Amino acid sequence: MHLEEFAEGSSLLHRLDPRVKFITLMPFILLVAVLKGIELPLAGLMVSLVLVSIARLPLKKLMNRLLVVNTFVLLLWFFIPFSYPGRQLLSIGPLSLSQEGLLYVLSITIKTNAIVLATIAVLGTSEIFYLTHALLHLRIPEKLVYLFFFFYRYISVLHEEYTRLRRAMAIRCFHPKSNMHTYRSYAYLVGMLLVRSYERSQRIYQAMLCRGFQGRFPLVRHFRMTGKDILFLAVMISITIAMAIIARW
Amino acid sequence: MIEIKDLYFEYPNGKQVFSGLDFSMKKGEKVGLIGPNGAGKTTLFHLIMGLLRPSKGEIRVFGKPRKDEKDFHEVRRRIGLLFQDSDDQLFCPTVEEDIAFGPLNLGMDNREVQERVHETCKLLGLNGLEKRVTYRLSGGEKRLVALATVFAMRPECYLLDEPTTGLDMETTERIKGFLLEHAETYIIISHDPEIIEELCNRVYRLDDGKVVNNRFCSG
Amino acid sequence: MHISEGILSTPVLTAGAALAMGGVALGLKRMDYEKIPEVAVLSSAFFVASLIHVPLGPTSVHLVLNGLVGVLLGWMAFPSILVALALQALLFQFGGFTVLGVNTFNMAAPAVASYYLFNLLVRRGNRAVTAVAAFLSGALGVGGGAFLIALSLVTTGEEFLSVARLVFLAHLPVMLIEGIITSFCVLFLKKVKPEILEVGM
Repeated sequence: MHLEEFAEGSSLLHRLDPRVKFITLMPFILLVAVLKGIELPLAGLMVSLVLVSIARLPLKKLMNRLLVVNTFVLLLWFFIPFSYPGRQLLSIGPLSLSQEGLLYVLSITIKTNAIVLATIAVLGTSEIFYLTHALLHLRIPEKLVYLFFFFYRYISVLHEEYTRLRRAMAIRCFHPKSNMHTYRSYAYLVGMLLVRSYERSQRIYQAMLCRGFQGRFPLVRHFRMTGKDILFLAVMISITIAMAIIARW
Repeated sequence: MIEIKDLYFEYPNGKQVFSGLDFSMKKGEKVGLIGPNGAGKTTLFHLIMGLLRPSKGEIRVFGKPRKDEKDFHEVRRRIGLLFQDSDDQLFCPTVEEDIAFGPLNLGMDNREVQERVHETCKLLGLNGLEKRVTYRLSGGEKRLVALATVFAMRPECYLLDEPTTGLDMETTERIKGFLLEHAETYIIISHDPEIIEELCNRVYRLDDGKVVNNRFCSG
Repeated sequence: MHISEGILSTPVLTAGAALAMGGVALGLKRMDYEKIPEVAVLSSAFFVASLIHVPLGPTSVHLVLNGLVGVLLGWMAFPSILVALALQALLFQFGGFTVLGVNTFNMAAPAVASYYLFNLLVRRGNRAVTAVAAFLSGALGVGGGAFLIALSLVTTGEEFLSVARLVFLAHLPVMLIEGIITSFCVLFLKKVKPEILEVGM
């Protein structure tokens, strides 16, 4: 199962210190999420597009992602413009389309896409293990980071087991339908996965003990900030602060 | 029964397994498939069952070319595959339910399924294990139950991936006895020359993605 | 089940984040270091299981299983669901980081409720009691989640009322499926590996 679709590459963003990535991205997307109106979200979207172009992301894969994200947003387009109070633009039978409603959905659409694009460009371009490591430096609770680390580490192993069980079902002519037999079989499949994962976790823990684990994970520090990192940090933070000041006005 | 012509297959990671493989077997043949680890023996089974798809070449089973998922539905009804690792094959809580899974998928009604389960257990000497939790059985018992789940569908041909590896003498004998008595056509992957010699009347050696040796033996 | 970025209002985002942090903190407190592999690998299994699409009439739904997560993990459902949602946000941009708190709370709160209401019944009850309690925990997980999602939308603005209603109604049949699958799954676990039902204690 290939998960990290955008992590390969050699752009500036691919080489950025993962700590810098978190420190710059989080304030930016949080700000965009709470912006109102059209102009500022558009400015945010511009920043995101610049980030995407710096990261040189594969366009086709990026479009696929956006398609998925925008399905829920599309649903909003069918509802909000008709239920938002404001100046009536058009009325079809009992439904009336309001200008404010349209602008509101447009604002949401821009914000959603701006956040998603920035996230892919900044975080998607690092391998997850590096990001996990960076989280430890950023004072995220240690247990949570290790939980994430093991969780991610064993997904592909369990996906492999899942695939084998699915094959075992397929060769015995299992064709899912809407019936009890199907639901029961899927429940057993899930149950088996859980039992396997539980036993595997026992073995993992035993192996950790055998290698001298005493309740702490040693941390090897090897991140080093370069001039490019500092430049990126300065630019992104300035943009975020500038946008926040304008938004307060 | 199975005809493979000029088959190409490579894994997503780029590892080329087959480049121009030819293989065929007829009804009634008992084929031994030998070769070093990584030669593609298990992959060949998965290709025959449609669990993997070749990048090029033709797979004909029961006289028809098999290309997409639909074509393989019939293949899976009529050919039974025994996995190398029984834990990959068994996923229901009890032995009984695991054996019933295949027949239920074939659309048999409850009474017929019960009969089929009973009959299957009897033939494989699994009586008394029906209500047991499959996951907690011994390795040998698991292998016999896995064989039972395949046999319960009464396939015309068996693909057996190292059926006796890691088993004790007694279980090995039971599996051998069962095959000699109840299976007419099969392919066995094995590293055990004795098994091949006793159970097969034809041997293929797979190496470097090709059949390098093909001989008859006493059977 | 999640809400995308850019939709919810600031107060809702903040409240969700605060509540989720509280839940995660409680969950982490109960999760000793030696429990990390257990909770983590079970979370991986749930993540993989959520990729399963189950046919439902003419369409199909993917499994959520937060009720089952709750019954198994108790308060540790919070960190477990948080890491799963964070990964989804990172890999597929489902949900997202700004809504991570809200989405975690919406999924994990009903999960913890399932634990308190049904874990004991599931472990101690006979077959019938276990089956019913497990069914209800599965249904409550998804139903509660859908309700909280609808609530998050409506508290953002009244104009979301019709969307919220639609979201909730769409999850009613899913509650049934989740209930059935959770029920069979718990019966399976009780027979095959009952220790798993004690991980959350």
